[in-house]
Amino acid sequence: MKTRVERRELLTELVAMRGIVESRSTIPVLSHLLLTVRDDRLELAATDLDVSLTSWCGAEEGSCENGATAVQARKFLEIVRALGDSPIDLSTGDSNSLHIDAGSSRFRINGLSAEDFPTLATVDQDSSSSSFEAPFPDFKRMIGKIIFAVSAEESRFQLNGALLKLKDGKVEMVATDGHRLALIEAEMSGVAEADGVLAPRKALLELMRFDGDETIRFRRGEHHLGFVIGRRELTCRILEGTFPDYEKVISTDNDRKATFDRGALSEVVHRVSLLTGDRAPMVRFGFEEKSLRVSSSNPDLGEAEESLACDYEAEKLDIGLNPVYVRDFLSAVDTEQVEFALKDENSQCLGEPVGGQDFRYLCLIAPMRI
Amino acid sequence: MAESGPERRALRRLPDALISQIAAGEVVERPSSVVKELVENALDAGAVRIEIELENGGRDLISVADDGSGIAAGDTALALERHATSKIASFEDLLEVATLGFRGEALASIAAVSRCELLTARSAGDGHRLVVEGGRLAVDEPVSRPRGTTVTVESLFYNVPARKQFLKRPATELRHALTVVQGYALARPDVTFVLRHAPDAESAGRELLRVQATGVDAAGRLNRIAQLFGEDLVNHLTPLPEARREQGISGFVGDRETTRGRRLFLFVNGRLLRDRAVLAIYYKAVRDLMKGDRPPALFLFLDVPPESVDVNVHPQKAEVRFRDAALMGRIGSALRRGLEAAKGEEPAPLREPSGPAAPPAWTGVGEVREAPAAPAWAEELAARYGGAGTGPTGKLAEVAYRPEPATRVPLSGKGRESLRLIGQYKGTMILLEGPEALFVVDQHVAHERILYERFRRSLKRQDAASQTLLVPRMLELSAAENAALAECSSGLARCGYAVRALSGGSAAITAIPAVLPDKEAESLVLRIATRVAAGDELPSEDEALADYLLTQLAASRACRAAVKMHQALSAEKMESLIAELFACEHPYTCPHGRPVVLELTDRDLERRFKRR
Repeated sequence: MKTRVERRELLTELVAMRGIVESRSTIPVLSHLLLTVRDDRLELAATDLDVSLTSWCGAEEGSCENGATAVQARKFLEIVRALGDSPIDLSTGDSNSLHIDAGSSRFRINGLSAEDFPTLATVDQDSSSSSFEAPFPDFKRMIGKIIFAVSAEESRFQLNGALLKLKDGKVEMVATDGHRLALIEAEMSGVAEADGVLAPRKALLELMRFDGDETIRFRRGEHHLGFVIGRRELTCRILEGTFPDYEKVISTDNDRKATFDRGALSEVVHRVSLLTGDRAPMVRFGFEEKSLRVSSSNPDLGEAEESLACDYEAEKLDIGLNPVYVRDFLSAVDTEQVEFALKDENSQCLGEPVGGQDFRYLCLIAPMRI
Repeated sequence: MAESGPERRALRRLPDALISQIAAGEVVERPSSVVKELVENALDAGAVRIEIELENGGRDLISVADDGSGIAAGDTALALERHATSKIASFEDLLEVATLGFRGEALASIAAVSRCELLTARSAGDGHRLVVEGGRLAVDEPVSRPRGTTVTVESLFYNVPARKQFLKRPATELRHALTVVQGYALARPDVTFVLRHAPDAESAGRELLRVQATGVDAAGRLNRIAQLFGEDLVNHLTPLPEARREQGISGFVGDRETTRGRRLFLFVNGRLLRDRAVLAIYYKAVRDLMKGDRPPALFLFLDVPPESVDVNVHPQKAEVRFRDAALMGRIGSALRRGLEAAKGEEPAPLREPSGPAAPPAWTGVGEVREAPAAPAWAEELAARYGGAGTGPTGKLAEVAYRPEPATRVPLSGKGRESLRLIGQYKGTMILLEGPEALFVVDQHVAHERILYERFRRSLKRQDAASQTLLVPRMLELSAAENAALAECSSGLARCGYAVRALSGGSAAITAIPAVLPDKEAESLVLRIATRVAAGDELPSEDEALADYLLTQLAASRACRAAVKMHQALSAEKMESLIAELFACEHPYTCPHGRPVVLELTDRDLERRFKRR
């Protein structure tokens, strides 16, 4: 294997691969990248067996000799990052080693045989049952509005991902950790009818790290999902499991409503939450005529209280909410105003942005009680 | 002595009714004992379907209907008399009891302390109805009924107020009854069991348990276990070795995943028992092989010749005595092989115990600790230096002394001024010099104790915050466990739980204590349900139960927040840790019961240096 590539281009792709590679894997080859030279390109691939990413760099004409090798990802990235801006020559040497030559720098790093690298799953582009295409920034923004509600608790694997559902020209994404739920629904082109599918958290987090304003193409295979963004293709295993019946959870009879300035509310909640414990923070929201009183108390720390004007006109209501959940939602919203709709102190609070959006977005937060 | 006291009572012959009532007390203790006797009778009558109905936990009404052989017309009145039984006729028969009930006491005893109705028919139409109140026959008439027997027991202990007073809350009595039925359902997968319960005569009954008849082979037994405890448990069970089946030992053991509840069931010839000797064998096997104290699930079925067990040692037949001592050894080896298979490892050859070695016991202050295994370094050294000449067992540093019985050293009482901080050992232990001993403090458990007491105080000061769940968590529980949960519901509520009973006898958690991660909150509820259902005496009063739960919450929080092992601490930090530790209410044990402080007295040290 032999090729010459531009450092900047290679570095960008290596950085994109970084999150996929497992640094502490029990399978050594998973901490490696697969490098393949073919068709005047250097192809790169990384996988943790659940999520895989492939990409490529253009090679200098006439510099290529086809072949492949697996190289330790972290060291390779560190070296390329540290090199100057001259073109980089890559070639394989004895016993799976890789020579990296750039300017007057010479490296030889030990690698593994390309044959040891796992075969990557592919999503058949033609036979896929459902698909959509969208500007990548739009899709990334969708993920950003629900990712905080994806559970990180490994014991409940079916909540370690977001539900992706394509229906009637719309894409819906839903995430819940059992305490809160976020849902976003936006119109997108090229949608086929299909049931929902669970996309794992790690794949979504990796997609969030990508930049660019290209188009994202989504395809669903039998066991895998494929996301193509420009030259990169991210493939992930579909999370098996039953997602909760979230439609039933979304309350329709929350008729006590209040609108707030998003930034102001977020700051108030932040200040009051300073006097809550770490493990089970709870802030009381006391809704009264035209005002909201936010308060907290902790026997070990003390008490805090702050009031905020709002347009609340229904009956008085006291509800306990986790301030972290409230602020996660407020940070995900991009309108000036937000609305909270409530029913009683035992029912979930429904938060929605107010005005100026071409998509549906909501967040449910289950209350806390004392 | 002059007769100054109250009038002397003349000796009198007790009236028959009273004799019956006293005798009844031995057999009939609570509604569940009635259920037990009646279900046993039904099984002995060859029933394949048994329906049980209870009202108000069985305090108001217990009815057991079967499709068994029924009682012949001439025998019906006799059936309600004491020691009337068709099952044994002579003392010789007593030695070979092969049926479940045998003493002929059951029906008569029950009839003596309740209003009891018996409906029976040996064939369809040829039926009899008897009503007995307080042991006296009130009605005896022919009646039409399909083959089988229905015994209805109303107002248990209505004529024995002292007994009635000792009955627990209906929820508790119901749970005991469910436990009994669950036991027979496990023993007899070939019989259909249905249990319904209504809070009172007016309310509609709810079906709490329904299991359909399957086979009595291993598959049938597994099927029955799945019906009672859920499919998930069955996936974690391993059958005991096939070879033992011929010796009458069969069953299943669980893997590590099944340790959460004490689901330990032992059946001897179809009778559910809690035999301490067999359980002790199991616990030992678990300790040896699983290196843990929490036993995995066990379903052990022993089929032994009737003459080799003595069931007549306990009025409720809850214990037996095995006449064959070798049987215990066979059970032990079957359990070991089962556990090893459940762990997924090859069985290790059994070794003879190497004599009565005195355990090298260090004594935790205030808490006697079990003798530790030979330390790793000793084995390592022994391996490196060949182990020859280092002692009779090949281990280096064989400890051949046994310290005096532990005297509790009141560290806090003496004041820690008398202790000098020596330093930290391997970032794990804090060493202290005392007037007459060296003290070793485990920093992690010490910190755990400090935090535990702090958390507990703050939890008690403020009611536990509760996090509602958007989607309720369904619990996979047996009927008895569900009943146990219902029993604890108000105590659970005080800790921030909300548990809702669902139709079909299952339950859902709708809110959890906010301080706990979901998974832990769920497993704590399961642990409580299974332990209460297994008959562990947890505090039943709401206040005490809440206290118990708070303790659990505080302990699990403390463990996570405490400084870990291998964390270097500065002298100031160590001193403050020690000061806080001895300010605790109970500085000597961690919330899980492990010792915090070990004491090595001067005397012990001198002995080890052979100065004494």
